Order: sequence, then C-alpha cells, then structure tokens
Amino acid sequence: MIMPNLPAFLAWGLITTLFISVGWWPNGILGGFGNADVMSWQGAATALAQAEDGTTFRQYVGLVGPMITYLLPLLIANAGGRVVYGERGAVVASIVAVGMITGSTIPMFLGAMIVGPLSAWVMKKIDALWEGKIRAGFEMLVNMFAAGIAGAAMAVIAFFGFAPLITRVSEWLGDGVGWLADNGLLPVMSIIVEPAKVLFLNNAIGNGALVPLGAQQVAETGKSLLFLVEANPGPGLGILLAYTFFGIGMARSSAPGAAIIQFFGGIHEVYFPFVLMKPALIIAAIAGGATGVATNAAFGSGLRGPAAPGSIFAVYATTARGSFLGVTLSVVLSFLVTFLIAAVILRASRKRDLESGGGDLQAAIAQTEANKGKSSSALGALAGAAGATSASATDPVRPVRSIVFACDAGMGSSAMGASILRDKLKKAGRTDVTVVNRAVATLDDSADLVITHRELTDRARGHAPTARHVSVENFLSSPVYDDIVRELAADSEGAKA
Amino acid sequence: MTEILAPGDVVLATSAATKTDAVREAGAVLVRAGAVEPAYVDAMLERERSMSTYMGNYLAIPHGTEEAKGTITRSALCLVRYDEPVDWDGEPVRVVVGIAGVGDEHLEILSRIALVFADMEQVQRVLDAPTAAELYAVLQQVNEE
Repeated sequence: MIMPNLPAFLAWGLITTLFISVGWWPNGILGGFGNADVMSWQGAATALAQAEDGTTFRQYVGLVGPMITYLLPLLIANAGGRVVYGERGAVVASIVAVGMITGSTIPMFLGAMIVGPLSAWVMKKIDALWEGKIRAGFEMLVNMFAAGIAGAAMAVIAFFGFAPLITRVSEWLGDGVGWLADNGLLPVMSIIVEPAKVLFLNNAIGNGALVPLGAQQVAETGKSLLFLVEANPGPGLGILLAYTFFGIGMARSSAPGAAIIQFFGGIHEVYFPFVLMKPALIIAAIAGGATGVATNAAFGSGLRGPAAPGSIFAVYATTARGSFLGVTLSVVLSFLVTFLIAAVILRASRKRDLESGGGDLQAAIAQTEANKGKSSSALGALAGAAGATSASATDPVRPVRSIVFACDAGMGSSAMGASILRDKLKKAGRTDVTVVNRAVATLDDSADLVITHRELTDRARGHAPTARHVSVENFLSSPVYDDIVRELAADSEGAKA
Repeated sequence: MTEILAPGDVVLATSAATKTDAVREAGAVLVRAGAVEPAYVDAMLERERSMSTYMGNYLAIPHGTEEAKGTITRSALCLVRYDEPVDWDGEPVRVVVGIAGVGDEHLEILSRIALVFADMEQVQRVLDAPTAAELYAVLQQVNEE
C-alpha cells in the first residue's frame, strides 16, 4: 500500500520542508498560512480561519494541508484496494476513503489502510453474488451501478462508523502518553509514541498530549524533555540510514533523500512508510526513542518549547540553556540505537526480501511476471504461437472463467472472435466459461483472460491490469484459440481428478 | 437472418481497384438498404485508416467508428464477394462484409459468418458459389448444423 506511493510522500515532505511557516522558504500561499486579504495572489483556494485576536480572515489553503489530508490517504486506500481487487477495488476504496477522511479531523492514514483493502474486498464479494447471472448486454450497467452504490454506502458507513472510531483510538493514545508522563514512566512512552507516529498520529500525540504537558513543565522548571519525545529526529534518521546501507531496491535508493528531508527538514512523515513496509522496524524506533528519553532524563536536559517541525535545527533552536550536551546525546544515542537494531533486522530479512522482491509491490508484480514462464507453460506456448506477447500481472494460477474479446468499436472483429472461441469451447465441453466481446474503451478488470488484436493489447492492459492478456493477429483462425481450449480442457480434467 | 442480412444485400462483383473503393462499395450497399446515412461510409473509411479490418482467410469487415453510431438507422450487414483479390494493406481480400451495428442484433449473423470463415473448407465454398443466392445458402447452412 505504501511503497508505490513513496514519491507522493517525498513530494509532500519537500513542499512542507520548504513552505510551511517554520520552513526554509516560508510561503503563505503554498504553505497555507497566508492571509488572502492581505497578500496579492488572487484566485487560489481559501478557507476562513481565526486569527489570534478572534477575528476571521480568508486563509490560503495551499498545498501542505490538502496533500496530507486528502492526497496521501486516498493514494494509500487506492493502492490497498488495487491489491485486493484490481482497478475496480482501487476505485471503490478511494470513494470510501473520502468518507473516512471527511469524517474526522485528523489525517486518516490508519483509517485509509483499514478501509481501503476492506471495501475492495466487500466489493469483490458483492460482485461474486451475481457473477455470470447478468443478462448479456447489461454487464456494464450492473457493474457500474453496483460499484457506485456500494461505494456510496460504504463511504457513509466509514464517515459515521469508522472515522469516529479511529479518531477515538488516537485520543486514547494521547491519553495513554499523558498518563505515562504523569507517572514518571518516561522511556516507556516510546512504546506508544513510536507506533502512533508511524500511523501518522504524530501530530495528535505531539500537539494533543505532549506539547500541553511540556508547556506546563516549562512554566514550572523552564524546560521539558517531553518536547523531544516525539520530535527527536534521531530514530527516524536511524531507520532511513539503515535502509540506505542495508535496504534493497527502491526503498534503498530513496532513503538518503528522505533522510535529508527528515533530519534537516524535520518532516518525520517521510520515514513512516519505511517502517510500515517492514513493521518489525518499529522495535528499532521504540528502542531508539526510549534511549533518547532516558538520556534526557539522566542529564535533566530538555527544550524550552516545542521543536516544530522536528528538525535538528528546530531542536537546537529551542534547546534550554545548559541542556545542549544532554539533547545532543539524546539525538545521537537514539540514532545509534535505532540504526543498529534496524540494520540487524534488515540484514536478517535481506535474503528473503531479495527473493520476494523486497516487499515492494511493483517488484512483486515484476517477479510474478518473471515466474509466469515457469508456472504457466501453456500460456508461454500460446504467446509463442501467436507471435506476440502475453503477460500476466497477477496470480498466474488464476483460473479462467471469463474471457473477453475486445476490439476498437466492439461491433465487428471481437464479436467474430468470441463466436469462434465460444464454439470451440462448446465442442470441448467447457460451457461454464463465458466468452463475450466489447470495445476496448469499455473493458474493465473483471475478466480473467482478455484477447485483443496485437495493436490493441497495450491499451487493453491499461483497462484490465490484473487480467491475463493474449494478442492475436488473425481473429478468424488464430492458433491461440486451440491453445486456450486445450489449456481449459486440461484444467477441467485436473479439477475432476 | 433476413432482417439483418437480406439476400439482396449479398453482391457478387468482379474486382475493386483499391481498398477504399471496396469499402465505398460495401458502404453503398448499406446506404441503399436504408441501414445507414451516407456519412457512415466516411466513418468506415476513417476507421480503416486507423486500423485495418482485415480478419484473415480472405475476409475484411469494414465498419464505422464508435462516434458514427448515430448515423446508423438500423443494424445491418452486407456482403460483397470479389472474383479478383482486393489489396487490403497487403493482404488478399475476396469477401467484404460491411457492418452497421447499433445494438446486439447483428451479432448472431456475424457470429455465423465468423464460424464459416474460421473453416477453410467453408471459405472455399463461399468463394466458389456461382450465384449470390447459393452463397447466401452457404451462410444459412451453418445455422442448421
């Protein structure tokens, strides 16, 4: 769910590092904190905001807020839905995610990770109810409305049902942190704070629980280590550098850039995906975080205000006088502890990751495609016979129950091809396999096997990414048909045996 | 079968100079049958330019684009057989089946034609049929088998 969307996280991290009010190059329009009545740029989206004196003004919406509130959770839900149920699952998951996002006031990453795959799975089950029972010619209509209605209903359920639940969970986490702080169990806080952070509840925890408590301590003693529990950039840097040296694939190559955004820019969110990809790393983050807290407790060091964003510069800018040694050590030690543990975890699973493609979705797909030659020799022969390509982006053993012939207009060649194959399958006794024809433009991902003219196969693949694709050059007497019939006849015998 | 492909819309011709002429000829039969407006013929040519409708086994099935469906009055097919092969982007075409399809009504007869042309023996019978009526009978037979 996370990996394919990494570029979006980095883009958001970069924009945030630069343009927020405490960024490198503050910009009220892009960063979303400027007063539109005062500034000159017209036509951009604005929202009413309350100034410190209680008056309201038109504030620019900017890039930062919408991206983290809408874009990132939507992408996560979309990817999660796609894994479960292809393009159709991705669409339904995105619809439902909006219910999740707007049903809460905190960024809905956790919610998107739950409802994305879940709603796609529900859609799959709903479709299975009437699969093959729809009258010919009505498939498109039923498919469109089924997904539309189910998506709308689940979005409402997410809004009223799931969103408040997830919001409550983040409140509980905040309460838990507050309780630990009150009871002097400071390093133990990391056990809650670090996992909550990577679920993007960092602001809920930081601003909701730690900052108010910290402010109280500052009022009493002039400094507080609570500001550093969540904002310490050490653990994140440890995770990212461990990936830089011991990771594989896309994660390894994007980790160094993310480390700069994280450590200097203070945008911790960019390392969360790296932990989510390999959840065992949360142990490294917790140990590092706890080390940092314990160090500050031992040295009696702390910050005099919240370090926001959690950049090393912001940390030093707010470090209380006399606390520089303790704060520096807390960052360095938490980095070292996280780095070492993360390195061990990454090294231990490296071999397995390389074999499976690194838990990386795209690599997994490529791997499946590479494996396909071995696992489906029938299809390989079939591709050879057609003198064209055939590739699968999904489970190579997906049984073929529905075949779609697609052509440009859907009124001629695909209909003829479908008739011929239907006839051949009938003679082979496989009347349970449906063969239909349609225009490429109306193709969806519900078919198991899609047959197109060589020139249209790429387009068809775009419409039906998880289906198996076969190209033909001659719709009338392609050797492909006999290969398919042979494969399916073998399938049914295998099933009987 | 008669509603979609009428016996009168099966035509025997000697030759066509170019693919474009052959498409126009098939289109003219469809216009004459009252199935399409003349604009549909232009759409058939446009469709042919973007992608050949050569199907293999001496058969081509010119038809209009998705956007041109509005110029179809009713679903209909026509068949023109040439004595001399027409050069269809380098492929020899003897039989041109012009298609005007709005709904699914034409699919039944089209699938019958597909089954005929998937079998080279049947194709030979279509090519050898001495009259239009006998050619029509070959297509009809598939139905009864």
